[in-house]
Amino acid sequence: MRQILRLTVNGEAAESLVAPHQSLADFLREDLGLTGTKHGCDLGDCGACTVLVDGEPRLSCITLALECEGREVTTIEGVARDGRVHPVQEAFDRCVAAQCGYCTPGLVLSCVALLRDNPSPSEAQIRAGLSGNICRCTGYTKIMDAVREAAVELAGQAPSPAEGSRRD
Amino acid sequence: MMRLPAFDYRVPREVGEAVSLLAEYGEDAKVLAGGTDLLPSMKQGLFTPKVLVSLRGMAELRGIRDAEGGGLRVGAATTLRDVARDPRVLALYPALADACSTVATHIIQGTGTLGGNVLLDTRCTYYNQSAFWRTALGFCLKKGGDVCHVARTSPTCMATASADTVPALILMGANARLVGAAGERVVPVESLYTDDGRDWNTLRPGELLTEVLLPPPAPGSAILHRKMRRRQAIDYGFLLAAVRVDGDLAGGLTDARVVVSCVGPRPVVTPLGDLVAGRPLTAELAEEIAHAAARPAAPLTTHGVMPSYRKKMIRVTVRRALDTLRGEPSAAV
Ligand SMILES: Cc1cc2nc3c(=O)[nH]c(=O)nc-3n(C[C@H](O)[C@H](O)[C@H](O)COP(=O)(O)OP(=O)(O)OC[C@H]3O[C@@H](n4cnc5c(N)ncnc54)[C@H](O)[C@@H]3O)c2cc1C
Ligand code: FES
Ligand code: FES
Repeated sequence: MRQILRLTVNGEAAESLVAPHQSLADFLREDLGLTGTKHGCDLGDCGACTVLVDGEPRLSCITLALECEGREVTTIEGVARDGRVHPVQEAFDRCVAAQCGYCTPGLVLSCVALLRDNPSPSEAQIRAGLSGNICRCTGYTKIMDAVREAAVELAGQAPSPAEGSRRD
Repeated sequence: MMRLPAFDYRVPREVGEAVSLLAEYGEDAKVLAGGTDLLPSMKQGLFTPKVLVSLRGMAELRGIRDAEGGGLRVGAATTLRDVARDPRVLALYPALADACSTVATHIIQGTGTLGGNVLLDTRCTYYNQSAFWRTALGFCLKKGGDVCHVARTSPTCMATASADTVPALILMGANARLVGAAGERVVPVESLYTDDGRDWNTLRPGELLTEVLLPPPAPGSAILHRKMRRRQAIDYGFLLAAVRVDGDLAGGLTDARVVVSCVGPRPVVTPLGDLVAGRPLTAELAEEIAHAAARPAAPLTTHGVMPSYRKKMIRVTVRRALDTLRGEPSAAV
């Protein structure tokens, strides 16, 4: 039986009737039309479906939408600030860190969370922070470049509310 | 796209309510903790529960509390990441913190729970597949068939215990608090597993795991966790080992135990008290312990990694762990 789900998506309150077996990815894509979140493996392996829930990366393909009651979800559509794409997105663009682009929304969100928690990560810390997101095209080199550039860029700026608050 | 089969969804607010829901729905219900094992399996058609009982509404199941008389009580729904980062866990049980941080990826560690890890379903390359894949080959003993594809004459299922935290928990002497409609009991984590990968745990129908109880660490005891997997992220292990030694490494040990997992339905525990008593942990003793730990384990074709290699790597992995304790670079090959 469908149940009422209340949550915040990209800063806006949302209320919807959802079926218990709807994953968060299905809900975002089909009910809210936020198709930036991708279905890759659909089994928790690849990270293409990564979104932020209360600021933390989460695999939306293996999360029930109803488990997000009262939470704050940020998708790739919600990371832009003041009408400008996020510095992480800009860095991905500049460094040509996307080829087919399928992994990119998930990677950008993992990267946003990584740089929020650790503004100047080491090489090993970047690798660990992105280890849940598989890219089959780039070979990761340009993604690494983009993260390093974004870190430098963000170091000069104040944090934005779009990156989500952490609720531990 | 892989969709979940339909089910009903309940969010009890306290343990009593959860336990009565589980009693009411019986076989038709499954507990949903982080869902990182259950939901992929449901997408593959391995489970089709009519009701999922979510643990998210019960704050009492989350968090780490000091136990009376020392030690810690970890709520079953505490995430692996929260366990791995807890300063008390890091100080008292570094092997457990280590084991939590080798599970899958950091994203899954932020969702998956310690309780869900202790009760992770047994795994096999012929079982953890889509319904399409399993239909093509013919179903196996664990799900719908009458033959084990790993050991065709075996009357029992060979799917393997695969939870990263369990070998360390066993060596720590951890206990599980189980609550059912008929009451509660506290049992050693070691006693939760059986020799049949189908009916692999000893929980009674409708029982909920509420806490994992960590006794105070024994003075002079050291535990190490080791995992081998193909990639250093995402993958389940093809071999898990935890090693415990007690006593004075240079003066003489009092006891040692090794747990090896991913080789059969239950973790293989090898007590080595008689072998090590009174002996210092020399390279020679380390090699003897490693041989003794490898002897009872019989890896089969449950993983896409050769059983003979996995068998050999038990000795090498245990030897390397012991060499780390000895502070020596390992020569194990
Ligand atoms: C890509 C990927 C890689 C993975 N790699 C690893 C790995 O390397 N090592 C590893 O150990 N695991 C791995 N896992 C499995 C899983 O993420 C972890 O084991 C995790 O700890 C499971 O916890 P959960 O809360 O998500 O469990 P769930 O999926 O919610 O539950 C697991 C099982 O336990 C039952 N259960 C859960 N909690 C309770 C309770 N309190 N009382 C009674 N029953 C309960 C559920 O009904 C279910 O049958 C991986 C998963 C994925 C998707
Ligand atoms: S689509 Fe969710 S992890 Fe691959
Ligand atoms: S750009 Fe194609 S998968 Fe990463």
